[in-house]
Amino acid sequence: MSPHDIDSNGLVWDCWRRHAEQDPEREAIVHVSVDRPARRWCWGPLMQAASRYAEWLDGRGVRPGEVCALIVRHHEDFYPLYMGVSALGALPAVLAYPNPRLHPDKFRQGLEGMARRSGLDHVLTERGLSEVVAPLAAGAGSTIRDILFPLDELPAGGPAGGGVRAHAPASPDEPCLLQHSSGTTGLQKPVMLSHRAVLEHARRYGDAIGLAGSDRVATWLPLYHDMGLIAAFYLPLVCGVPIVQLSPLEWVSAPVMLLRAISEERATLSWLPNFAYNLLADRVRDEDLLGLRLDSLRMLVNCSEPVRAESHDRFFRRYAPLGLRREALGACYAMAETTFAVTQTPPGEEARRVFVDRAELARGRVAPSAGESARACVSSGRPIDGCALRVVDEGRRDLPEGSVGELAIASVSLFDGYRNYPEKTAEVRADGWYYSGDLGFVHEGEWYVVGRQKDLVIVAGNNVFPEDVEDALGRVPGVIPGRVVAFGLDDARNGTEVLAVVAETEAAPGPEQRALRVAVLQAGMAMDATIARVYLAPPRWLIKSSSGKLARAANAERAARELGFK
Amino acid sequence: MISEKLRKVILAELELDDWDLQDDTTAGMVPGWDSLSHVRIISAVEDAFGVRFKTAEIVRLQSLGELQALVERKTA
Repeated sequence: MSPHDIDSNGLVWDCWRRHAEQDPEREAIVHVSVDRPARRWCWGPLMQAASRYAEWLDGRGVRPGEVCALIVRHHEDFYPLYMGVSALGALPAVLAYPNPRLHPDKFRQGLEGMARRSGLDHVLTERGLSEVVAPLAAGAGSTIRDILFPLDELPAGGPAGGGVRAHAPASPDEPCLLQHSSGTTGLQKPVMLSHRAVLEHARRYGDAIGLAGSDRVATWLPLYHDMGLIAAFYLPLVCGVPIVQLSPLEWVSAPVMLLRAISEERATLSWLPNFAYNLLADRVRDEDLLGLRLDSLRMLVNCSEPVRAESHDRFFRRYAPLGLRREALGACYAMAETTFAVTQTPPGEEARRVFVDRAELARGRVAPSAGESARACVSSGRPIDGCALRVVDEGRRDLPEGSVGELAIASVSLFDGYRNYPEKTAEVRADGWYYSGDLGFVHEGEWYVVGRQKDLVIVAGNNVFPEDVEDALGRVPGVIPGRVVAFGLDDARNGTEVLAVVAETEAAPGPEQRALRVAVLQAGMAMDATIARVYLAPPRWLIKSSSGKLARAANAERAARELGFK
Repeated sequence: MISEKLRKVILAELELDDWDLQDDTTAGMVPGWDSLSHVRIISAVEDAFGVRFKTAEIVRLQSLGELQALVERKTA
């Protein structure tokens, strides 16, 4: 099915059901795990299994409009379960699952916050996780009514066959899913999306990337992030394009798995955050690449961190011998609040670059330059159909072309607001425009994203809010309360940013400061934020702004100058 | 128990002076051991012990004790 055929007055389930009726033997999802053969779901059996899960959930009291949080590990039955929730007219919400690389405190804070604020009604999880999940989900103030174990009670491969049910009566403007914005804070903001928003996005974004029946998406992205859920799950499935899904946890341990999947499954498309290009370029052994080919790839889409020219160059140098084509290096600008994509580079063309004067850029002006100190900015492409952008100043007034400012976005697939956070919605949405907090500019019709208006630090695709880190460190005994700043430092080697902190203390150098340093690192870990550089400063080291607040930029400059932080 | 050699390799790679590393320690409990550094740490361990892990072996590791056991199997 081509993106043009999507009926945005319909329901997502009906698109899926049509694939099952028209082409039941066609592959929908290839579930890849390192230590067992891939599970290949075809449309017919997938939708039958989804219908069985819907039936089961219906029998357990799940009703239309209720939110089902899915806390499930990489599991071949995750997909029919997710789709089964959708069939009932209930809203699936994928949450991160506890794992060895996620600090237990971060998991606890995240789930407790969402249980109280996101309006979750049911938790669908595995018995193996219930010891960790159950006490958090059922804690004080939680809206969660019950914890269900569908994968244990209706296991994979149950009775084959059966029919595909009809979707519960619903209007296209009703919500079809809930996803959470990422971030360090325990209060992650829930974004609700309607069937119409998801289908409008699939139709227009699918068209922008020339999505066709011959495509195949390879992905390791977690489904609790918009890039994984919308670009690499909803978009292909709505259009009937097969997905090859790897485990995010397995991928970070063995990045070569993605290249193997692309080669073996002849994948044509993949979405990656910028740090993944560096990881794949630098951390895969030659011997693991024997026999692999990447010539099936027609587009890799760099998204969710500022795109770096150096990362594309390194990746291309490493993989051109395997058949990677330069024109496959694409990019996109996207966020959960607009369903996903806002701009996209055209298929068959490498993302363009413009070289601009760094000093002028820092002053908010775009001055093309051929000088040695010029910064190569990589384009995220042109607006997709149904999206418009503006560059605005702090008063949200339009800036002339050639200026750097905040990017404001209007989109046919704009979200309906953060659920249960009207005050947060009001901060970012006005008169049909979403104010992104991202800094960028437009040059010859192409859009470039160069940073953040606020001091958000993006570490390997994860948003770290400095104020959260500062609050947490301010509570560490030994740190002078309120006398901490956190900021990002460029990490060119890994193609991302790292987090640095300066904390004032009266602790004496030696064992006392060593113990404090450990406590600071631990406080960061509890929010899943790796603090790469710590400086324990004497009292009154930090610079205050005229308003009496600690000035992050000024302190970052002082740390670079005096401590060599960079 | 985590051997002194394995402990030193991990601490050096993470630029830590000291940290309590036990059999049941997981990556999320060690500062700096995140998605970005994981592959680097595993490579450093392989180089230090002169061994090569298979993808499936690396992916299955859940704790430091399991990494220690894997190193011992490979060097036996």
